[in-house]
Amino acid sequence: MLLENKRLLVTGVLTEASIAFSVARLAQEAGAEVVLSGFGRGLRITQGIAKRLPTEADVIELDVTKPDDLAAAAADIDSRWGALDGVVHAIGFAPAGALGGRFMQTSWEDVATTLQVSTYSFAALAAAMAPLLKQAGGGSIVGLDFDASVAWPGYDWMGVAKAGLESCCRYVARDLGPQNIRVNLVAAGPLRTMAAKAIDGFSRFEDEWAPRAPLGWNVHDAEPVGRVVCALLSDWTPAVTGEIVHVDGGAHAVGTGAATEG
Amino acid sequence: MTVYDRVVTILNDRLGVPAEDVSPETTFEQLDLDSLDLVEFALGAEESFGVRISDDEAEGLRSVGDAVALLESKGLGVTQA
Repeated sequence: MLLENKRLLVTGVLTEASIAFSVARLAQEAGAEVVLSGFGRGLRITQGIAKRLPTEADVIELDVTKPDDLAAAAADIDSRWGALDGVVHAIGFAPAGALGGRFMQTSWEDVATTLQVSTYSFAALAAAMAPLLKQAGGGSIVGLDFDASVAWPGYDWMGVAKAGLESCCRYVARDLGPQNIRVNLVAAGPLRTMAAKAIDGFSRFEDEWAPRAPLGWNVHDAEPVGRVVCALLSDWTPAVTGEIVHVDGGAHAVGTGAATEG
Repeated sequence: MTVYDRVVTILNDRLGVPAEDVSPETTFEQLDLDSLDLVEFALGAEESFGVRISDDEAEGLRSVGDAVALLESKGLGVTQA
């Protein structure tokens, strides 16, 4: 099986619609052992949703903005497995003031929170887990991205954070490559997750995504994204790092929809 | 215990909503509950009633009465508990 005996930490499972839930489910089905993480009031929800996986997964409490939590999570995994084969970073947050069309009025405090949780945490989580990945002889870190090469309605400072994440991925790939740790992002098309529902104006590009994407796009199905994340966690992408794989039906590749042609 | 009584119990146990603040007409917005709280409520209802409320169903709930109606539509009624 694709992920036979892989030991994985999957962050960001909140509901069954979460991209990370698809990742965890598919990874288990492919033979992986999975531990989830959650924090704050989401922790109990994650614990409840963990029961809906094919095999109930343990949930580690982990607020990625707290160095103590990162150290404790690494210690937990060390005592559990002694090593780690893969990490999924599915974490992002922006205060309401940083989203929804108030870009030019957003305070530095709101921007700082957005960047800390959504960009810096990728490097912080990677640094905390790197010794465990090294212990496994190398491994794979995969983060979730939304194409940051252009401006989107409502996405605002989260878009800036994702642009930073794309750069952050390249630097982490540079620094962890010598330890045989691969570091990549998956840029997903829009999905109806809890994170997406929090963004005013998100429906505007949901509606135009499917007609633009050569392969079409279903905003309710995270599995295509989960499959690629699992592929990147597997041994089948051994020379891929610092990469952004677009799983968006191909929308990023075309300037406008083909629906009106022919 | 009616479905309504049990919904009030879940709101109190899981989300700390005082029972005296709740009536069938009370909206979740009035109780200061957001979409994440509704997911938590749905999980509580699943544990309590053994019925699944989907994310989309949870998202569509506006009032306590909506939640009761949804659960009743799933075949729940008065219990002996």
